[in-house]
Amino acid sequence: MKLLLLALRNLARNHRRTAISLAVVATGTAALVLTAGFVAFSFEGLSEAMIHGGLGHLEIALESATEGRTATLERSVSEGMADWEAVQKQVEALPGVLAAAPTLHVAGMASTGTGKSAAFLGVAGDPIRERRMGFTVRLRQGESMADAPPREGEDQVLVAQGLAQTLGVGPGSRMTLLAVDPEGMLNALDVTVAGLVTTGVQELDTRYLRLHLHSAQRLLGTTSVSNLVVTLDRTDRTGEAQARVRSLLAGHQPPLDVVPWTQRAPFYSQVRALYRGIFWFLGSIVFALVVLATSNTLAMSVMERVREFGTLRALGTSIGQVAGLVGLEALWLGLIGGLLGDLLGAGLIVVLNGLNITMAPPPGAVDPIELRVLFVPQAFVGSVLLMLVVLALAAGGPVLRVARLRIVEALAHN
Amino acid sequence: MTAHPIFDAHGLAKRYTLGQTKVEALRGVDLQVRAGEVLVVAGPSGSGKSTLLHLLGTLDEPDSGSLELDGTAVATMNEGARTLFRRVRLGFVFQTFNLLPVMSARENVELPLWLAGVGGRERRARAEAVLAEVGLERRFDHRPDQLSGGERQRVAIARAIVHRPLAVLADEPTGNLDSETATGVMDLLTALNRSGGTAFVVATHDPSLIARAPRLVSLHDGRVAADSGGGVA
Repeated sequence: MKLLLLALRNLARNHRRTAISLAVVATGTAALVLTAGFVAFSFEGLSEAMIHGGLGHLEIALESATEGRTATLERSVSEGMADWEAVQKQVEALPGVLAAAPTLHVAGMASTGTGKSAAFLGVAGDPIRERRMGFTVRLRQGESMADAPPREGEDQVLVAQGLAQTLGVGPGSRMTLLAVDPEGMLNALDVTVAGLVTTGVQELDTRYLRLHLHSAQRLLGTTSVSNLVVTLDRTDRTGEAQARVRSLLAGHQPPLDVVPWTQRAPFYSQVRALYRGIFWFLGSIVFALVVLATSNTLAMSVMERVREFGTLRALGTSIGQVAGLVGLEALWLGLIGGLLGDLLGAGLIVVLNGLNITMAPPPGAVDPIELRVLFVPQAFVGSVLLMLVVLALAAGGPVLRVARLRIVEALAHN
Repeated sequence: MTAHPIFDAHGLAKRYTLGQTKVEALRGVDLQVRAGEVLVVAGPSGSGKSTLLHLLGTLDEPDSGSLELDGTAVATMNEGARTLFRRVRLGFVFQTFNLLPVMSARENVELPLWLAGVGGRERRARAEAVLAEVGLERRFDHRPDQLSGGERQRVAIARAIVHRPLAVLADEPTGNLDSETATGVMDLLTALNRSGGTAFVVATHDPSLIARAPRLVSLHDGRVAADSGGGVA
């Protein structure tokens, strides 16, 4: 008790110096809390955008289609699922599954009556299920496709802005899609542009279009689908659901694979790794700054009290107790500064989120993003613990100095 | 009263290096101090008074000679044993009082008891009793900077005797006090010696203290020049 109290009182001796040290620790802590909150928001935003942008939480596809090719968005229809409706029914009966939507990937050439043509990457789906799954289509012009399967000759598409620009089409325009079916025959389908959309990714917008599953099947002359995309009620249960679906489909012939969204989105992993790197880089800078600033403070504090340490040693205080006193002062600085930093960080998060700041689109993206910072409880606790470690390190030199003091010299110190 | 002398020194020598100069602070001092004695070590500046007290208090080690503390040879004691000896058996009074500025008078006096593992309630009661004994019953909660020089030295004396040590080593205890206060402090040390039986070894060059010394040891150039003997006050 005495040492803890004594350490705390010693900190209160030099108000100004202690206040500056606390400000350094608190600012460092707040910086870490804010960065962690922003990184968490970015991860969450990116993952939800990818999941609800079409990836879903899980993909069910033929094992032969996914083997060695999990990190891809496209599945060839030649390796499509024929009995997908039966699988869909089984999977949708599982708890936690919102829906299992069929998708069919089409690659081909789009041409207009004016003679313009461009390669396209088409994704076809079931609009009703996709809405249930929370999939979002970012419509920029025109309107969405009809939910009901289109009748022959009434096929519609949603064209990404970049592709529409290349083809010179807009809502209501007619164009022809050409694609090779699983037998290698070239098929064509006349479609009407219902609206213009964006994927959010500039590069993809130059090739992307969406169409109804039935339209795509008509174009490719098939009833199969490339895969089933499964969405869950909670993203954090993806691993658990993957195991359950795997077990459910274990005996299926031909064998099916169940792929989590993270494997299909290497971009997400790359961004995560990049952000983590930035976070640790920033953390290292904060670490170094706080160590330098506080070790200087602690060293000065020790230098000013050499005679006092000599007195304590003369009275029978052990080397460990005297050194521990300095260590405790450092830990108090870390704890109080860390907690103040948490308060500061929490306040800044509330303020920043309240300001509704919009940031320019990140490289390759189309839309600006809103700056949000999440409360990450682990960051609040972790940063205080980190500050305790930082201050323990900063105290290393002063503690050693105190431990090595010769009593007689310390008592004679002015 | 113990059978052994509290301090039994033979041929104590200590050399320092001050810059380029080698200083022989002690050149073979023989000294025995028995329980209950009041011994004044006198001598001019540089005669070796403080060095002798440092060696007797295990704050420093002699270059040669032997020293036994209450029958135990210091040479056989490691750092931990010396710390424990100081904590339990010795008390210290310094010229500059050396009170901890962030602690009240009572907390300063409680310090040796806390180090000895005495519980909170007993610690407080004993500290207050000793502070009352030195005339500071109205100053328990005052911090050192709220006390006069004489009061601070009384707190320091209370701190030195609160754990009932065998001996108190006082290095120039009146050096920072006016003559009237210095006399009061010496009266106090004498009274405490009579009431508690604690031995006092006081290093000073204050003539008024020297005049009242029950036993006077004079040091000159690191040697005992004279020892009056008969140290019971």
